[in-house]
Amino acid sequence: MDLVLIAKAIGALSLIGLITSSILSTAAKRFHVEVDVRVSEVAAALPGSNCGACGRPSCFAVAEGMVAGEIEPNACVAGGQSVADEIAAILGAATCEMASVICARNCGGGANATRVYEYAGVPSCAAANRLAGGPIGCAYGCIGFGDCERACPFDAIAMDERGLPVIDPAKCTGCGICVRECPRGQIQLLTLVPEAAPIVVRCNAHDKVKDRRGNCSMACIACKKCERECPHDAIHVVDMLAVVDYEKCTGCGTCVEVCPQKCIDFYGHRPGVDAVAADGRGPDTPEVASVSEGA
Amino acid sequence: MSTVSQFALLFIGGALINNILLTRFIGLCPFFGVSGNMETSMGMSFAVVFVMMMASTATWVVWEFVLAPLGVGEFLYIPAFILIIASLVQFVEMYLRKASPVLYRAMGIFLPLITTNCAVLATATESAKPGFFKLNIAVGASLSLGQALIYTLGVSVGFGFALITFAALRERLELAGVPRLFKGTPIAFITAGLLSLAYVGFSGWFGL
Repeated sequence: MDLVLIAKAIGALSLIGLITSSILSTAAKRFHVEVDVRVSEVAAALPGSNCGACGRPSCFAVAEGMVAGEIEPNACVAGGQSVADEIAAILGAATCEMASVICARNCGGGANATRVYEYAGVPSCAAANRLAGGPIGCAYGCIGFGDCERACPFDAIAMDERGLPVIDPAKCTGCGICVRECPRGQIQLLTLVPEAAPIVVRCNAHDKVKDRRGNCSMACIACKKCERECPHDAIHVVDMLAVVDYEKCTGCGTCVEVCPQKCIDFYGHRPGVDAVAADGRGPDTPEVASVSEGA
Repeated sequence: MSTVSQFALLFIGGALINNILLTRFIGLCPFFGVSGNMETSMGMSFAVVFVMMMASTATWVVWEFVLAPLGVGEFLYIPAFILIIASLVQFVEMYLRKASPVLYRAMGIFLPLITTNCAVLATATESAKPGFFKLNIAVGASLSLGQALIYTLGVSVGFGFALITFAALRERLELAGVPRLFKGTPIAFITAGLLSLAYVGFSGWFGL
């Protein structure tokens, strides 16, 4: 009796499985959609990591769009110039110049920023940010648990002793994953800047200058010294915050020298600057940090 | 009871009085997962109506002509129904891709996602398997195919209605002055609780 029931059960499931699989395999042939051969070629040329930096869901979707002519061949941010050239060759398009970008951190807080409470939860920026906006007093500053470091697929971000992410411009591809992973990426704590960007402002606070100074010893105080001293008219105080105009900036370093708050910094591939300065450490940050901790 | 009023009761009973999301708490993952904005929740609701109707029809037929005659339905219905729903969705996806690329793109990722949705399996089981249908309507021991389809339509429309209502509320909440500690997910949970209370208020209509 039991054996008969078992046999019936096996038979019923096998029957359903057999029928559905034969329907599916017929359907796969019957409803087969012809795909342009160039789509698979372009898909093979793309990095295939589905990083999403271009704003599309997958590399394959991008390949389809490129063949259909909806997406430019240079849309792949992570692939850079070499991939753009390869795709342009497949599609017969004229070679496109890539405007490559890298990630920059617009915060010099870290150990210099005041804490409003002791955070003892999960060591993640996203979690800390949900608890009343994070332990950092400044609503625009880096929380410092390294969500960007863990998210970076190219190993280009490392947290330093100040609790700030330091970006290696040589490894950064400008894919923008860190900007999306950072709970404050949307308010431009991390931004994508031109790869040749020589100067970056390490402050992104948009609140009142008085509040900023209370929150962080490195905050931009909108004194306009950089704006006055810049020989190329390349840095301006917009809405009480210094902003670099990368069209004009030559990286002469005048603003870095005059900034009383040391919140303007060298960045990117600047000739004559050693690796330590190029990775974004301010010239005399450690002293400022120790003063702030004592205070 | 006339057929028309029976069908009306099946529809209202499935859509409002026994709302699958807010009074029975089945299929809650998409309720929070895709209710962030109106557009995705619309796509999801549309796909759920579509897949639930197909799934109920298929499971009803399989129960009637395969599982019940062999006498193995009592313990085999879950694997059998999962197998049927999964392959059905695959088939529909292939067909749509060929026949209607516009519809295929509109449903997008939601079609394969609801393959394993518990709300779909629950409704298909209720429609097909006698003894699982719990509404207090004199429909006998099991539902006929027509009754099952009306009931499934009611459930899936109720699912979509609740999801879209919730998505609209969440969009409004984005702009509201929510206290900092409650911003985001916490206020969404509170809203879901209140919405659920409102839906429980439907119970007792028509003695259902």
